[in-house]
Amino acid sequence: MRNPFNRNAASPSLERLRDLSLFVDLSQSELRLVDTLMHQRTYLANEVIFDEGEEGHAIYIVLDGEVAITRQVQGETSEIARLGVGTFFGELALLDGAPRSADARAVRESKLAVFFREDFLELLDTHGRIASKIARQLARHIGSRMREMALAVGAHQHL
Amino acid sequence: MSVSASEARPAGSGPVVWSAIIGTTCLLLFFLQKLLWLVVPALLALILYYLLYPLMNRLIFRGVSRDSAAAVIMLWFLALMSAGGLMLAPWLTQRFASANASVTRYIQGGLKLLDQSLRALETAWEPLANANLATTVAQRLQNAGGHFAEYIEPVAMGVMVWAPSLLLAPFLAFFFLRDGQRFKRFLSEAVPNAIFERSLNLLNEVDRTLRAYFIGLMKLTVLDTITLAAGLALLNIPGALALGFICAVLAWIPYVGTIAGGLLVVLVAATDFPADPVMAYRAIALFAVARMLDDFVYMPITIGKSLRMHPLITVLMIFVGGAIAGVSGLMLVLPLLGVVMVFGKTVGAIVTDDRLVARYRHGRELRRKAASNDLV
Repeated sequence: MRNPFNRNAASPSLERLRDLSLFVDLSQSELRLVDTLMHQRTYLANEVIFDEGEEGHAIYIVLDGEVAITRQVQGETSEIARLGVGTFFGELALLDGAPRSADARAVRESKLAVFFREDFLELLDTHGRIASKIARQLARHIGSRMREMALAVGAHQHL
Repeated sequence: MSVSASEARPAGSGPVVWSAIIGTTCLLLFFLQKLLWLVVPALLALILYYLLYPLMNRLIFRGVSRDSAAAVIMLWFLALMSAGGLMLAPWLTQRFASANASVTRYIQGGLKLLDQSLRALETAWEPLANANLATTVAQRLQNAGGHFAEYIEPVAMGVMVWAPSLLLAPFLAFFFLRDGQRFKRFLSEAVPNAIFERSLNLLNEVDRTLRAYFIGLMKLTVLDTITLAAGLALLNIPGALALGFICAVLAWIPYVGTIAGGLLVVLVAATDFPADPVMAYRAIALFAVARMLDDFVYMPITIGKSLRMHPLITVLMIFVGGAIAGVSGLMLVLPLLGVVMVFGKTVGAIVTDDRLVARYRHGRELRRKAASNDLV
């Protein structure tokens, strides 16, 4: 049985976290600190991660496997994205507790790292430097998503 | 299906959930009073944890690891306590040596004030004089006074028995500081995927509630001490700061603690100024003003809405706590109710959410199939 208080237990997600755009600015020691705040979950194929409309408390990072992001449009399920290793989703939950805007479901067995808003807010208080690096990457990510959406809407109107 | 998923969400905590919350709090109080030797140090350890946590975070912020920061902070705290203890030791020894005589002197002073006040009332109001109120009360107190030692001895023995367990407090606080985060992770791993986010949010909510309550309580103690000490110093009552601090700590016990604090101040004023009963009345007036400030100004800005409870429930639960577990019940009931309330509301929201229950069953079925895949 695993000892929950084992101080030397290194998280296997550490290597993966280093490659993530969200944590790209963090130094090794900063990354190690963030890693202590991460939770790991394993989802089987077709298992629901969260539902649209559910209150969001955490961001999910795909360490292994594949996740489908879907939405209900007029009673039909429409897939809006398929996310692989190194990507993340549910990032708006880091900023507020607004309801999830889409469903997330594992396409195949997937390992996910989960980072909670409460821990992010505590980082803002205690390690402002780390939190600001994460927040900057988060802002970039959301900005690029908004640009993509604007482009998609523009293209659609043009067509 | 998401449309049905959002429709399946419950509206909120109903009467069943609230009955369960109150029932669970009462049951816990009943059992916890049997474990006071552990509950009291655990409570003190929690207070210590929340007080030292920001200091530990400062060290972590400067690059010290969590383990080292917890050890440094706890060693610093113990060194501070030891230094304080050494400085106060001669004074405390002197006080304890004369404690018996002092207690008797202050009780005599209080009785004398009561007698003077009743005789003044008899002079002003004839029916009281006809009833010999002062003499009757004096006789009854004299009879009760004979049994005084009988009350004090078991209390003193009880305190002596579990006082060593107070040494557990810094020990527990050190592990709370060092392993709190790991323990949270350990607990979260035991939770099914379907309710993982809600459960972690519950843990955070419990942590937030307790932190707000205990930090608020500490701030309230400082404000009460300053107010009472300033007032008592203005009245020229000796030991104003120590008296103010003792009364502020006694006020941790709702109602009973406040009355005990007020009584203590009145006894000191009546004994140290035997020829001037007005001083004791002034002390009572000061205590009444401090109480008003406490209820209407200090409490709302410190503990205030930390527990986010209806005032009626708060007051009723204080009485229920006292009835179930005496003084310990009065002390424990509010933080306990706060935690049980957060826990109960979340569990209530989870078990009444058909979609979450369905997701949990679906996940369990997937795991069962995956485990028996190669056995068919």
